[in-house]
Amino acid sequence: MPRSSTARKSAEPDRSAAAHRQAALLRLSTEIAAAHDEEGIYRSVVHGLHDEALGYNFLGVFLLDPESGDRVLQASMGWPDVPDAWRVHRGEGLSEQALLDGELHYTADVTRESRYLPSLASGSEVDVPLRVDGTTIGVLVVESAEPNAFGGEDFEILNAAANQASIAVGRARLLASERRRADEHKALLDTMADLSAELELSRVLQAVLVRAVSLLGVTGGEVAIWEEEAQELVVLASQNIGKDSTGTRLKPGEGAMGTVARTQEPIIIPSYAEWLGRSTKYSDLTIHSVMAAPLLIGRRLVGAIATIHADPEREFGPEDMRLLNLFAPQAAIAIENARLYTEAQRQKQYFEELLQNSPVAIVTLDRDYSIVSCNPNFESLFGYSSDEAVGRNLDELITTEATRTEAEQYTREALDRAVHGIGRRQRKDGTLVDVEVLGVPVIVDGERVGLMGLYHDITELLRARQEAEAANSAKSQFLASMSHELRTPLNAIIGYSEMLQEEAEDLGHAEFGGDLQKIHTAGRHLLSLINNVLDLSKIEAGRMELYLEDFDASTMIDDVVTTVRPLVDKNSNSLEVEQADDLGSMHADLTKVRQMLLNLLSNACKFTEGGAITLAAERGKDNGREIITFSVRDTGIGMTPEQMERLFEAFSQAEASTTSKYGGTGLGLAITRRFTNMMGGDVQVVSAPGEGSTFTIRLPAAVEAAPAT
Amino acid sequence: MARILLVEDNEMNRDMLSRRLERKGFEITMAVDGREGVEMAKAGDYDLILMDMSLPEIDGWEATRQLRAAPDTERTPIIALTAHAMAGDRERALEAGCDDYDTKPIELDRLLSKINALLEKNT
Repeated sequence: MPRSSTARKSAEPDRSAAAHRQAALLRLSTEIAAAHDEEGIYRSVVHGLHDEALGYNFLGVFLLDPESGDRVLQASMGWPDVPDAWRVHRGEGLSEQALLDGELHYTADVTRESRYLPSLASGSEVDVPLRVDGTTIGVLVVESAEPNAFGGEDFEILNAAANQASIAVGRARLLASERRRADEHKALLDTMADLSAELELSRVLQAVLVRAVSLLGVTGGEVAIWEEEAQELVVLASQNIGKDSTGTRLKPGEGAMGTVARTQEPIIIPSYAEWLGRSTKYSDLTIHSVMAAPLLIGRRLVGAIATIHADPEREFGPEDMRLLNLFAPQAAIAIENARLYTEAQRQKQYFEELLQNSPVAIVTLDRDYSIVSCNPNFESLFGYSSDEAVGRNLDELITTEATRTEAEQYTREALDRAVHGIGRRQRKDGTLVDVEVLGVPVIVDGERVGLMGLYHDITELLRARQEAEAANSAKSQFLASMSHELRTPLNAIIGYSEMLQEEAEDLGHAEFGGDLQKIHTAGRHLLSLINNVLDLSKIEAGRMELYLEDFDASTMIDDVVTTVRPLVDKNSNSLEVEQADDLGSMHADLTKVRQMLLNLLSNACKFTEGGAITLAAERGKDNGREIITFSVRDTGIGMTPEQMERLFEAFSQAEASTTSKYGGTGLGLAITRRFTNMMGGDVQVVSAPGEGSTFTIRLPAAVEAAPAT
Repeated sequence: MARILLVEDNEMNRDMLSRRLERKGFEITMAVDGREGVEMAKAGDYDLILMDMSLPEIDGWEATRQLRAAPDTERTPIIALTAHAMAGDRERALEAGCDDYDTKPIELDRLLSKINALLEKNT
């Protein structure tokens, strides 16, 4: 309480004045504590001390500007006409001393101090420092118009007030910093919300950029995405950099973003105009400093972000880098999400196209078997439009009473597993349609959400099959009657020619023998051709059956040899038979085994002249199975590998030219191979041109009954 | 001279086979279908019967069964004549009671050896 104050001339405090001062100090404390921010605190301090009970009439709070060293007025009372934020420069005024040493300073007569700045109250002055966390941040200045106005009690009061204010300021600053962090946090959360709310990439990036620009307090900025194919950055979002730069393309290393794209490290460029890496694409803009960061997913570059200061006074610091690094991952995720979303969209579109254009009728059902969707082919197959079908129970819609139960069974099963079948369904117009049905459960994230039904109209297919079956049956009928009709006259030709030969000999007309023999041989040949064609037809039609019986292999061989003897003699060949003693009996199709051996032997006779033919047979084991091996070896013309390749195919003699020379249909070996396969064996050939051929048939000694092939 | 009953519906086959067998010294009687074959076999005393299997009226298998069931003919040797490709016919012929079989078209030497074997066995 300044002794010179007009409120109390007397230096002697009375009890009531003391009570008033206590009350004023209490109010002061309360107001300081109630202040919301620094500004409020300073105002509370000067207001509280200006109280009549205390009598401090001229006072103010200055804060130190650390950069300039100036003191800047925050709040004052009693000084008329001082400007807001009045700046007292470094080196001026008495109050600087308290700032420098952090102590209270009392100047009893200011007029005697050269550094005193003249003001209205040019008597005495007290300067009390404000200290927060050990640092002097400002000064409380209290003046009196009269010299020697302040004493010890004043110093106590002013110190206490300054302390209270300092503590409050420290708390307020902490709070503000917390708030700022909370704001950052909120901005990030908002950004993430944007990411899910808006998937159009440029808009998301623009939103991210706007927040980053706002939070960093920069002039503007840009976000670019990395185009893998072009190996370039493309600016997608541009905010307040002096022009709309979207669409600008930057090579790696070009400009700030191109540089961070290449280095994958953030960068601060204090003076862009002097920076060697600057891009000419921004030369028309006022850019003072730039801070840029790469956008990465893991170590993969997806883009870059840059912020600029146009104001030469502003510079980027570590705190700005920290903030930018908070935003960079968000922008990177946005880009990645957009890419994934585009990909997903493309796939969705792809599948929708498939569904729309599928030649199969497709319908999807929910768990209650109600139709959720159907494709155009479903509409055309059953005659219901999508609007008519959706929401209806599928089986009620397209089945008849006769097929309903079966169809519902299918549908229920299809909720659990894939179901495949053939059935008859009803169209809207009441007509029936034969369909192949495929039902499959639709499982999303492990949960059965319904099922999908695919219908394939098989009316044409069934008709074609019926026609094919009818045709096949007609063919079989034809072949059977052919067999009879062709063979009957042929038997007459063969029989009569043979008989005539015998008669001619008996009657002494041997001269006819040769011609009659030719007729007989030709007839036999024709018969074997017909038989072969019929056999092959039966095999191809799957109608050739095995008649398995037990027979003695040696007897069968003797029989075959007797039959083939005339052919052997014809080309002056010799035939040797090598039979193992233990040959024993076989269980197989006797007729077919005979036929195969006759085929091989007659071939050997046909393609060998004046040579040796050997028929060998032995019993052996193959994989624990008893087998009989027959081989027919000749010393004839042999074959090239190329000829052997097509040997067992139907209608393929080794070469067309051989047909004219040697005759035959080229069916014998094809039939032989099919017969051996039917009986679970095989036939092989070893040959070389001019070195004869060896055909080997291996058959199980006991052929197992198998379905007809 | 052995007496043979030839049951065959095809005229040319009948003619050929009968003439060829007659030239080899057999006495041939002919029936044109299964029913006639059975009647004649029962009525006459034949040393051997050549039975075509696909016959009108009564087929060869049924005719054979009937002959085997009749006391006069139960022991008469019967050779079934079957078509080449019809492999299943053989077993059916043997099951029906035939003693042997041969395939058409006839190879005379082979058939003769079968005929002679059965005739020798029966004497």
